[in-house]
Amino acid sequence: MSSQQQQGDDWIRITSKDGFSFVVKRNVALRSGTLRNMLDEHNFAEAVQKVCPVDERAAVTEKFVEYLAYKASYENANPNEEIPDFGERIAPEIALELCV
Amino acid sequence: MASTSKKIKPKIKPSRKLGPNIDVDESWAKLTSYIREIQHHNAHKLSFEVCYRLGYQLVVSKQGPMLYNGVGDLVVENLNRLAEEFVLPTFPSGLEQDPMQQSQEGERLLKALHKVWRDHTDCMDKLSHILKYMDRVYVKSANVLEVVELGRDLFVKHIIRPPIKDHIINAILNLLHIERDGYVINRSAITNCVDALLQLSDSPDGTTVYKRYLEPDILRQSDTYYRAEAEKLLETCDTPEYLRRVQTRFSEEESRAHQYLSLQTSAPIQAILQKTLLIPHLQTLADMPNSGLDIMIDNDKLDDLSRLYQLYSLVPEGMPCLRRSLKDSIQKRGEELNSVSMEERELGDGGAEDELDPSAKGKAKAKARPPNSGAQGLALALRWVEDVLHLKDKFDRVWGVSFKNNRDIESGLNEAFESFINPHPRASEFISLYIDENLKKGLKGKTDAEVEVILDKTITLFRFITEKDVFERYYKAHLAKRLLLNRSVSDDAERGMLAKLKIECGFQFTVKLEGMFHDMKLSADAMQAYREHLGKTTDIGPEVDINVTVMTSTFWPMSYAPVPCTLPPLLVKASRSFEQFYLSRHSGRKLTWQPSLGNADVRVAFKARKHDLNVSSFALVILLLFEDLGGGEFLTYEEIKSATAIPDSELQRNLQSLACAKFKVLKKHPPGRDVNPDDSFSFSADFSSPLQKIKISTVAARVESGEERKETQDRVEEERRYQTDASIVRIMKDRKHMTHNDLVNEATRQLASRFLPNPLNIKKRIEALIEREYLERCEDRKSYNYLASHTSFYYGTADI
Repeated sequence: MSSQQQQGDDWIRITSKDGFSFVVKRNVALRSGTLRNMLDEHNFAEAVQKVCPVDERAAVTEKFVEYLAYKASYENANPNEEIPDFGERIAPEIALELCV
Repeated sequence: MASTSKKIKPKIKPSRKLGPNIDVDESWAKLTSYIREIQHHNAHKLSFEVCYRLGYQLVVSKQGPMLYNGVGDLVVENLNRLAEEFVLPTFPSGLEQDPMQQSQEGERLLKALHKVWRDHTDCMDKLSHILKYMDRVYVKSANVLEVVELGRDLFVKHIIRPPIKDHIINAILNLLHIERDGYVINRSAITNCVDALLQLSDSPDGTTVYKRYLEPDILRQSDTYYRAEAEKLLETCDTPEYLRRVQTRFSEEESRAHQYLSLQTSAPIQAILQKTLLIPHLQTLADMPNSGLDIMIDNDKLDDLSRLYQLYSLVPEGMPCLRRSLKDSIQKRGEELNSVSMEERELGDGGAEDELDPSAKGKAKAKARPPNSGAQGLALALRWVEDVLHLKDKFDRVWGVSFKNNRDIESGLNEAFESFINPHPRASEFISLYIDENLKKGLKGKTDAEVEVILDKTITLFRFITEKDVFERYYKAHLAKRLLLNRSVSDDAERGMLAKLKIECGFQFTVKLEGMFHDMKLSADAMQAYREHLGKTTDIGPEVDINVTVMTSTFWPMSYAPVPCTLPPLLVKASRSFEQFYLSRHSGRKLTWQPSLGNADVRVAFKARKHDLNVSSFALVILLLFEDLGGGEFLTYEEIKSATAIPDSELQRNLQSLACAKFKVLKKHPPGRDVNPDDSFSFSADFSSPLQKIKISTVAARVESGEERKETQDRVEEERRYQTDASIVRIMKDRKHMTHNDLVNEATRQLASRFLPNPLNIKKRIEALIEREYLERCEDRKSYNYLASHTSFYYGTADI
């Protein structure tokens, strides 16, 4: 495992089921438990190829990735820093699908 | 809120896509093949998501037991395959004798085992990942082991079993043995293996396989190994070498435990080392002839001694043993010193007694010796003290450098010194003599710091003396001589010494000594006043210049009756003059002249030239007798004696120093070294010497002769009686009523700072006090009451 990987600085491709792919930094991807399991050091296909399939359509996957980025940037935020509400960014069309 | 969406997602999704009724057999078949792939290191070809989903589906469709057992079977199958493939071929042949070969075989086996273990754990890790859902849902509800645990369990059951287990343990033991014999082995092989064993456990209480099987074997083997090793080393090595080896063993085992055994083994192994290498042999090592403790100290092997100390301090038995050996060693050396000093002393004493006893036989033999027996005795005393100091220095250095200033050892050393210094009957005298000698001559040309060092050293010796009062008596006598004869080199040094004694023994001890100093100062003042007085009233001024030291009789050790001496008129006149002067200034005092302590400067005209002689007062008196005689006239011993009234012993000494010593101012007839009552003397006008000033010291009895010593002893005894009385009365006055034992204890405690009282003597004193009605015995015959009426009277008699 390279040092780059440990720092979470390399890129991971997240693919939606309708063929879109989103490239995110590893430490963003690792915000998700599922993705983390996939990318763990057990050398499954996902970890080797750095591609994680997500079984959703692109719009939902995008919001999902956006949430991960949001979480990554505010997770270690200062308690007195103002954190914008993520809920405002969710469009009503995809809300249901995101929920489930 | 968002995290729930993320977690729930994979759970909900499949149920929506595939529904609850998936094909169980097909899923299982797929999963089986996937697991096989994983076991063959092909995980990278599989999608985690797929595997996970299969496991998940099987659990969801209530196939948990089937999945769990199936996985277990697969693991077992894989383990057997691995064992077959890797471990079995590496079983040692057992035929090899060469340690290198053996070690390689062992290493191969261990490496194989490690490989198997690594593969297995790797697999189990992956499986547990895939089957996380099963772990979370099924395992908990069914109350079985999680997948990883299951893996370990199966590993123990299928790999760590006879014969593999025995082979592994044997291999490890072999490697250990080989390394202990000094060969190099591959430590990492053992480390890996031990690590695996440490994680495994086959008993319900969680004892690891390592602890349960391997450690006992290791300990057992170490025990036998080191037992043999100790025997071998004892036969072949001397003590320093043995200790060096043992120390190496200790550090080796330590690093071994750290590097490739478990840390928990470290302590038991060290204990075994201590038990086998050290404890049984402590005494043997210390006593080893030619290389034991004694020899190491003799040769200043400080490194070896430090090692000895380090090792001995590891085991509880070590310190006492070391302490005992040191004590023995010191005692032996001390007794040697003592016996050397005693032997020569006896020779010297023999000479001295011969001198006193003028029998014909003794005379011939003693002739050569007596004049220098005093000096010899002194040298002996000095040598003894120096030897003791040297010994002390030596041990102190060893103690400081090698024994890390250990308190326990220090007290042992002190005890040892006490134990040989005190039995020496004249330790106090010798030490005081040593101080005397140093303050008299030794300190000339030395810096203050050096003086300090010498005094400090002597004080340490002084500390060892229990009979401090004896020391005080001698010290007083020596100090008096120094002060009166003006021999003391430096006032500061004297005062420094006093200060040290004061610190050691308190004010009481030095009050008289300080009084002596005070007297000296007062006398100087008095003399000055006297001179002024003479200057004013020239009429009765004596022809001789006298210098008087007025000594308070209780301070100075001269309380015995003055030696009778008929002073010639010249001196009588001078002393009268001073007496008058002094008594006019201080009424109610009594002056007693002590000519035995004085000295005089006199100018004598010989044929060749005039010489200034410095002689004792007695010698002056004798010389003055010859002043009026013609050149060839004689005075017999008897004539001199009747003219001066000086007692025999003093007279003999003085005549001897005048007629028989280095400067023969008088001629003795017949010539010879000893003065006898039938000798006669004449003035030696032919005397000549290159020196203008000549000091004729009295043939000195510097070290006490037998009689003097007895006298000193008696005085000491007497003083002790007073002190004991005083102490008992003080205690009783305080307590009013006390049992016998308590009283004796308390008195002993109070007196211990001065001497070591004998309970029997205390008892005698108590009885004497009862007789004199200070105390009364109670009805029970075991305790006493204090009778108050005597208080004031008592203090008059015996206030120390």
